Amino acid sequence: MAESRTSTRTETRSSPDLQLDAGWRVVVLNDPVNLMSYVVMVFKKVLGFSEAKARKHMLEVHEQGRSVVWIGVRETAEAHVFTLHQWHLTAVVEPDETR
Amino acid sequence: MKRVEVKLSLPVVAPLLDMIRELSIELEKSLAAPQALHDLDQEFRGAWIGELLEGQNEDLRSLLSLFGADFFSEGVVAFDEANAEHIVRACTAVRLQLRERRMKSLDDDALETGDIDMEGLEEPVRKAFMCYLFLATVQELIIEHLDSSIIGS
Repeated sequence: MAESRTSTRTETRSSPDLQLDAGWRVVVLNDPVNLMSYVVMVFKKVLGFSEAKARKHMLEVHEQGRSVVWIGVRETAEAHVFTLHQWHLTAVVEPDETR
Repeated sequence: MKRVEVKLSLPVVAPLLDMIRELSIELEKSLAAPQALHDLDQEFRGAWIGELLEGQNEDLRSLLSLFGADFFSEGVVAFDEANAEHIVRACTAVRLQLRERRMKSLDDDALETGDIDMEGLEEPVRKAFMCYLFLATVQELIIEHLDSSIIGS
């Protein structure tokens, strides 16, 4: 992820939204092109994250290469991934094998 | 409606427009960020890609329409709630295409940190990188001033 001029660093870890009938997760993968500020804006817009939560997930993508941004039913997971693709983020749906 | 007008340097930006138009044509039939969709059946995958392409082309048309008569007479472009979302996405599409088709020689890490020696680049790559930076600046301006409009739309 490309650094913007106003980036800051936090040490918090992510805790994706958990739905009762969870089974699938939306994972966003790192790319070297998208600006940090852009990714934060997209997370706020698409997933309804607060600024702090969006920034936390953005940094997770940037530093660890991926972040689980949503967990729930497959249909909704696919809808989120489609919208993230519209914003040109690399995102995939994976089965949630942690359950 | 919130509106942001930016005066650009014509001699600097005008030469980049041909490259942006060229890349937009390349993107008419291919996604800027091809995705791994092998889990989807063929019909669903086709519809998925088709809809993404349609949106991508609409975004690119908005970006290109910024550089009309006003731009060439005054050097001014304007962003508002109606075009901000399209333009910020189109900038990403073109930047991804620049990276993939014109700046392959640049290292991912250098690109992420911006630690690139412009003087050391060959002319076509240097021009592509100028274009890449210009579009990033447009995105930062929009996000700084119209972030709430985009998120609320």
